[in-house]
Amino acid sequence: MMRLLCAMLLVGFLLPSTLRAEPKLKQFFIRNCVDCHGPERQKGKVRLDKPVDALLADYELLETIVALIEAGEMPPEEAPQPTTEAVAEVVQLLQKQILTQRPVNPLKRLTRAEYTNTMRDLFGVDFDFTGLLPPDHVERGFDKFGETQLMSPHYLMAYLKTARFIAQRVLPDVKPRTRTWEFDVRHFHGSKNFATGGGGDYRDGDDYVLTGFRPYRSNLHFSIDPDSHDQFVIPAFGVYRLEVKAHSEKSNEGEIIGINLGDGRHPTSFRMIRRIPMKHGSKGFTTELTLKAGDMLAFTFDSARVPGRSLEKKPHKGPAMRFSRMKVTGPLTEQWPTAAMQAILPKPNMKPRELVDHIALLLTQRPLLAEDRKAFVEIARTQEKSGASMTATARSVLIALLTSPHFIYKSESPELTDVERAHRLSYFLWNSAPDADLLEAARSGVLGEDPSAQVERMLKDVRAARFIDDFTRQWLQLDKVDDFGPDVRVFKNVRRMTVDSMEREGRELFRHLLESNLSMEHFIDSDFVMVNDRLARFYGLSAVDGDAFVPVKLPSESERGGLVAQAGFLKLTSTDFATSPIQRGSWILKNLYNERIEPPADVLINEPDIRGTTTVREAILKHQQLESCSRCHAKIDPLGFALEYYDPVGRKRSEYRHVDELPAELEETTFTKKLRITTMPIEATMTLPNGREVRDLPSLKAALMADKERILKGIIGKLISYAHGREVTGADRPHIDAVFASIAQEDFSLRAAIHAIVAHPAFGRK
Amino acid sequence: MKRRTFLKGAGVALLLPRMESLGQVSETDSPRRLLTIVNHLSFYQPELIPKADGAFEKTPPLLGELSDHLDHLKVFSGMDNPAVQNGFGHTPCVGILSGYFNKLHRRNRLSIDQAVADLIGDDTRFKSLVFQAGENLNFSQISWDKHGLPVKQIDSPRRIFNLLFQVDENEKAQQQVLAEDRSILDAVLAQARSMEKRLNATDRAKMDEYLTSVREVEQTVKRRAYWADRTRPHVNYEIEDFDRKSVDEYVGTLLDLAVLALETDSTRAVTVQIPFWEGFKEPDLSGNYHDLSHHGQKPEKIEKLLMLEHAILRRINASLSTMKERTVGNSSLFDQTTTLITASMGSANSHNFDDLPALVIDGRMKTTGHWRKKEAPMSNLYLGLLQLFGAEHDRFGESTGAFEVLS
Repeated sequence: MMRLLCAMLLVGFLLPSTLRAEPKLKQFFIRNCVDCHGPERQKGKVRLDKPVDALLADYELLETIVALIEAGEMPPEEAPQPTTEAVAEVVQLLQKQILTQRPVNPLKRLTRAEYTNTMRDLFGVDFDFTGLLPPDHVERGFDKFGETQLMSPHYLMAYLKTARFIAQRVLPDVKPRTRTWEFDVRHFHGSKNFATGGGGDYRDGDDYVLTGFRPYRSNLHFSIDPDSHDQFVIPAFGVYRLEVKAHSEKSNEGEIIGINLGDGRHPTSFRMIRRIPMKHGSKGFTTELTLKAGDMLAFTFDSARVPGRSLEKKPHKGPAMRFSRMKVTGPLTEQWPTAAMQAILPKPNMKPRELVDHIALLLTQRPLLAEDRKAFVEIARTQEKSGASMTATARSVLIALLTSPHFIYKSESPELTDVERAHRLSYFLWNSAPDADLLEAARSGVLGEDPSAQVERMLKDVRAARFIDDFTRQWLQLDKVDDFGPDVRVFKNVRRMTVDSMEREGRELFRHLLESNLSMEHFIDSDFVMVNDRLARFYGLSAVDGDAFVPVKLPSESERGGLVAQAGFLKLTSTDFATSPIQRGSWILKNLYNERIEPPADVLINEPDIRGTTTVREAILKHQQLESCSRCHAKIDPLGFALEYYDPVGRKRSEYRHVDELPAELEETTFTKKLRITTMPIEATMTLPNGREVRDLPSLKAALMADKERILKGIIGKLISYAHGREVTGADRPHIDAVFASIAQEDFSLRAAIHAIVAHPAFGRK
Repeated sequence: MKRRTFLKGAGVALLLPRMESLGQVSETDSPRRLLTIVNHLSFYQPELIPKADGAFEKTPPLLGELSDHLDHLKVFSGMDNPAVQNGFGHTPCVGILSGYFNKLHRRNRLSIDQAVADLIGDDTRFKSLVFQAGENLNFSQISWDKHGLPVKQIDSPRRIFNLLFQVDENEKAQQQVLAEDRSILDAVLAQARSMEKRLNATDRAKMDEYLTSVREVEQTVKRRAYWADRTRPHVNYEIEDFDRKSVDEYVGTLLDLAVLALETDSTRAVTVQIPFWEGFKEPDLSGNYHDLSHHGQKPEKIEKLLMLEHAILRRINASLSTMKERTVGNSSLFDQTTTLITASMGSANSHNFDDLPALVIDGRMKTTGHWRKKEAPMSNLYLGLLQLFGAEHDRFGESTGAFEVLS
């Protein structure tokens, strides 16, 4: 109530100042804008001749106006320009208005990753909800945005099913029996046994051998009965230990085995669940996996695989992986009753109300209000009356609470309570619920006063890896690196694990900067890159040993270093055969500058096909000539074109290779379709709106470095928007500016930036 | 009696009058149905599509297999699937019934069979049934719901039969789960309502989505509980364990089950996809179906391929004839059913995803014959079909208009 009063007073206080601002703004608009955005013409469908208070109420419009005027993009060059003072004054007036409007931050539900991690931390079970919970939809920004999160009957049904799945597994009625299965070559099957396959894998003495020959097919799976091809099926949910004896041959580096679930006889139904890097000379591995009833295990030889289909008709000469033995033990139970059972049912007899309160508090660290509690207590009571066991009753309550808004939505008051602040922080840095230590710090008020000790502790915790994964995957769109091609007919020798390593590079750079307290400037350019064995080879750097990423200093002539020189970025902005300067340019604006760039909704975009034309530039430059496109494309195109010396998989090139897929000739089939490759010179030089010329990767990085403040603020904005679960707006400027000012003292350290974001008062507001 | 108490106890008396009539078609009724048959590997078009446009004069050999139904049949040819831009191998086939597919986007992925099922599927045990002959691989998913999610394609004839006609062994457990689901939904609904009061306007809008979802799921659960409480229809049909290899055995069985599902009013929308990948062949053929489809224009391979395609169409013809013999309500099953036969590719030999053929069979058809629809999107046909089922849509997938299907 007090808060409401304050807010009203604030509005009352601000009103007169808005009134005072009105004539000035009106005058400015009439003088500078209304010619094109008024009764006669409505360029961009914008009218600024409306009453000023109506304009001021349109929050998004306001943001756009400020951004454009401030950047000098409006009024356009050819129009008479207002004085610098007039611009500054208007921007200040508008900015003030923006700051009065707190951005909306609608109710957020747990993302799939948050849900999974929360269950992991609460119950100590490594659930995988793929196939149960729908993946979260990200159109722009992050899946944590309440505004774009979907809720539908389908989602609700998924939550209900997932809750039942969890409850049945964390609260079993009987202790599962641990069993052991041993497999040797007699039980091994590969694609050779598959009716239509065959070729790349074979039995050899006491071993079964996988090669990279037929990449889609080659896999190893197991049957219990040597004579049957019926695959070994995991009988019950739980943790299983796999002990595998295997080694590689004809290889002089570490190789990688993929563990897949699914029917090995039909490898297209595979789902990769883990990659096991095997050091050179390794004799096997032991790993533990959480599996569910019905899962079927299969191994693939991932480091030998080439993306796309293999066209090799010759016998395979590359590396091979020999499997001799596998032992499976599970489900393993370390203690009985399990930790989860003890957490959910700490006492043998709990009254319905006590039980509900206990589980509700366990799940969210927030008590369930009395008025919300009734229906859940009713469930427990009904169960109790029907003579159900305590475990069964707890299961029902757990299912209900896991499906309820109490659990799946994050509660946030306008000014976060201490516990809510702990939640925001832990879903930021651990992508999971807070632990007891953090909650204690929150409740004692320490967190609100000085969060640095907690932030430091959390960043050192292994759970911080989840933040690094989740944030970089979405910020840098690393999950899209492998969306297209590359076509193996053109990009020979680009192996599966090379592409996989490309996907990891951006994440590893972020991790390294964070862990080593390094400057965020390295995102723009740096004298080192993060690489593993395969990526080092791909970049032509000195050899690195093993699958783990390490920093490697670049030779002085190298153009690499920084996000825009990473193969992953260069690849994800390309299609099968061709690069896309527009994709690359807009990626830079969106993800480094944190600019909102959206294709105009009412324009059908036909991106010029730069493969088919000899006038690559001309086709794209057309954008810049059309008035409706030029505002954005004048910024986008030069950034993208500067990268044209890098091909669709991120390798340096000196000319375009334009690929035509020739239609199959009469006597041929799709598999023999031919490609025609023609070459064209590259011309990449263009001028940025600020007059600076960019012509290649080094000059692009120099231009970005010159824009360092804007870019670092852009990245800070990304972090803030991830933490708050909403888009950053003009109202976040003080927050961003404060963080920037504070890290400017500390060599722009990424770690310091995270500290500063959390320490700022804005972190405690909804 | 038991059902009445059950429903009353659950406090859904309002639902009763409508549901009372479910499960059997009344003697005066003649509900509309859709049978969709997709042949993933397409047909050898020179032998399927008449040379000339308009009324059938000379029927090509493959089309001749459907000779019993030519007076209710339209052939469309040459259609495009503008959605297929990037894809590899068979992957683009997943969009055949959607007329739109972009692997990066989920919106707009709804397939025509599900769009129709949304219109006609409320009163039956299953809103729709999708059968997959052959192993369901990731590129054989063709049926997508309105959320863009894959609809389960069942590949085992035995499982389909059990689903339709056998008592579920887990029924008791299922009913318990459904009862528990309902009390859980009650509880979360109550909590959401109470929580909503404490929220501001934007948050309340979010919570409204949750509340609406709970209510819709409640309806689904009620529907399941309703059907779980009713015995399944009895049919005189023996399903034998058979060798999956032949058209007659496998495609024939699936089509039989499709007809039975429609006849017993278990559903009003059935989709069948013909097998294509694993060793599907006739006993006296060497080479499997997929392999033969890459015939490379070799006459001896085409000849074998045609044997399979003839066998498939012959089976479809037989099923259509069966539907003419079976009466449900006040008309024959054939009269009630619109049948769509289509293919995921123009030619499986070259993996051409345009030049698509489609056959529509409907007892109400006024003119029959061949319409060459060069470069018209497949979605135009789908929109035409959708409108037949009473939809008010003016767009489907990438449609640019709607074909007149019946006139």
